[in-house]
Amino acid sequence: MNIARQAAGGALRFRTYATAAYVPPASLEGMQRARIPPPKPKPESSTFYTGRANYYDQLLALESAAKQTRSALQQLHLLPLPQFAQQNLPPLQPVWKSKVDLAELMDAKLTTSRYRRFVTQLNQLNEYRRLAEVAGHTELATRLQRVLDMFERENKEAILARGKSKPVKFDEFGRSYTVGRRKESAARVWVIAAQPAPGEQAASSLVAPTSAQSPIAEVPSLPSAAATGIAGFTSGPLSMSPAPIKVSATNILINNIPLADYFPHLTDRERIVRPFRVAGLLGAFNVFALVRGGGSTGQSGALALGIAKGLAAHVPEVEPLLRKAKMLKRDPRMVERKKTGRAKARKAYTWVKR
Amino acid sequence: MALSLLRQRAASAARCARHASASTSVAPRARQNSTFGRVEEAPPETSEDWTNFQLKRAEYQSLLENLGQYGSSQTRENTFQPHHSLHRPVAPQDITLSALLASGAHFGHSQKRMNPNFVPYAYGIRAGITVIDLDHTLPLLRRAAQVVRGVAARGGSVVFVGTRSDLRSAVRLAAERMGKQGYHVGERWLPGTLTNKVHMFGPEVARDEQVVPDLVVFLNPIPNIHAIRECALEHVPTIGIVDSNVDPRVVMYPIPANDESTRTAELIAGLLSVAGREGVAIHEEQQAKIASRRAARHREQHIA
Repeated sequence: MNIARQAAGGALRFRTYATAAYVPPASLEGMQRARIPPPKPKPESSTFYTGRANYYDQLLALESAAKQTRSALQQLHLLPLPQFAQQNLPPLQPVWKSKVDLAELMDAKLTTSRYRRFVTQLNQLNEYRRLAEVAGHTELATRLQRVLDMFERENKEAILARGKSKPVKFDEFGRSYTVGRRKESAARVWVIAAQPAPGEQAASSLVAPTSAQSPIAEVPSLPSAAATGIAGFTSGPLSMSPAPIKVSATNILINNIPLADYFPHLTDRERIVRPFRVAGLLGAFNVFALVRGGGSTGQSGALALGIAKGLAAHVPEVEPLLRKAKMLKRDPRMVERKKTGRAKARKAYTWVKR
Repeated sequence: MALSLLRQRAASAARCARHASASTSVAPRARQNSTFGRVEEAPPETSEDWTNFQLKRAEYQSLLENLGQYGSSQTRENTFQPHHSLHRPVAPQDITLSALLASGAHFGHSQKRMNPNFVPYAYGIRAGITVIDLDHTLPLLRRAAQVVRGVAARGGSVVFVGTRSDLRSAVRLAAERMGKQGYHVGERWLPGTLTNKVHMFGPEVARDEQVVPDLVVFLNPIPNIHAIRECALEHVPTIGIVDSNVDPRVVMYPIPANDESTRTAELIAGLLSVAGREGVAIHEEQQAKIASRRAARHREQHIA
């Protein structure tokens, strides 16, 4: 009887109380009841019932870090930062992990709104880090940097360097290697600083890739300095003679051929020498170039671009000058294709009325 | 001289709307007119500049502190600050009608939206707004505090749910006060948290951990009606702030009060969490007693 009641007592949830026979309470007194099962452990995280505990734990940790940092900066009298003090702060360039990477890191599903909220907190912390760093509080800044490093992309430098041209490298002889293109031509240009004294000619022949056979003096056509300055002026600044410019002889070799031989036309030679003129570095550099493709105009344009890039690499101060003169821009103009129904790219056939 | 200047400016502001900008910045201008403690407006460049900038500000602050002792005896410490309702919760035994009134707990919704089951808790109607009877609210609030304390004293878990942006910090701090037995939901309650726990948390967690909580407190029950329904399905007792447009029977222990007021919600959440903290302390005491008794029994067994 008691065993049957035990089974009935344990299976109460199946409504056996309604179907089982009546048992007087006195008979149930001696019954042994099943031991209460030990209580299950409670969830660890206090954000368990949000359903996204991992994410909210991380977010709340970031928020608390931001709060602590804010109070620390307020104690240091850095916050609130007035408008005039914000001018000299270095620009922030954070590169945070993508939504997918962050979801993988946090082991939680991330929607766009949650990701944005997380990144807002990261940006806030980044601003505090910048302020602490600029004001000289390095330990606080490094601690914040350690927190933020967890959420930054690994290839941050590569991403920030996108769009910026790679710096031109110099080899052990001090030569810069640059490439210039125009129309269908491509030029590979090596620029090396010319040795100043004539006594170093032997040394330079070893160093320079240019085989210094016959230094063809590339003396540009300077305006002949009249003794009395510009004709017609007897007084004033325009009457004074400009100082004569000394230009040393340098080599420009193209496909191992001197400049004058390779480009018989003056316009092409002028185009190549123009970067030197604009930069004011006539006679300061030797140039060795390999060019192929296209015709004389394309090749001379490609060479000019390569030389300009090389000069900007050797002498960074002239870069703004060359940029202003549009010498560092690759001319994007290419030969337009011929279209069907037209004789050439634009030229139309003779219009016939009938 | 400066005072008359201020008065002139204020008078001109009162007269002419064009000087609206002047009226708002009278006090800062007065400060800028003084040369003492004036921070130079040059942007700091070197770290020395930054140090000087910080030092100047620190000087000004210390000056204010020094002069502060000679003025009014009201300080930041002994004056009400808006964050006090969050960080200085009221104990259940110290709650007063005036505190509830000051937090705006008596403002109900419009008369047109009144739920007929709420009528016993309404004091009356004024200007079309239901006024909630705080004489009913106070004992119900204390009853709810007793429930929280009792649940916590028996080792139960309490979840604070407040899904508005201004309630987020209130529920977070309330859960923190209760330690391991406190949980909070400051964002949207995901449907199926209790009724679909295997899918939500995984089979291992649903089997090994106690997923269903022992008590849930709702600071804004209307947007969380599905959560209330889930709690009812899973036989979880609920406490909630019910406003005049809500049927008080949706939750087990209603607290008739204004659900739109942040201060009321912070007051109530703080009060309940303080009661919960007391319950947690009772529970820990009991656990410690059991553990010491068990240890004593083990020692006796080893000796014997």
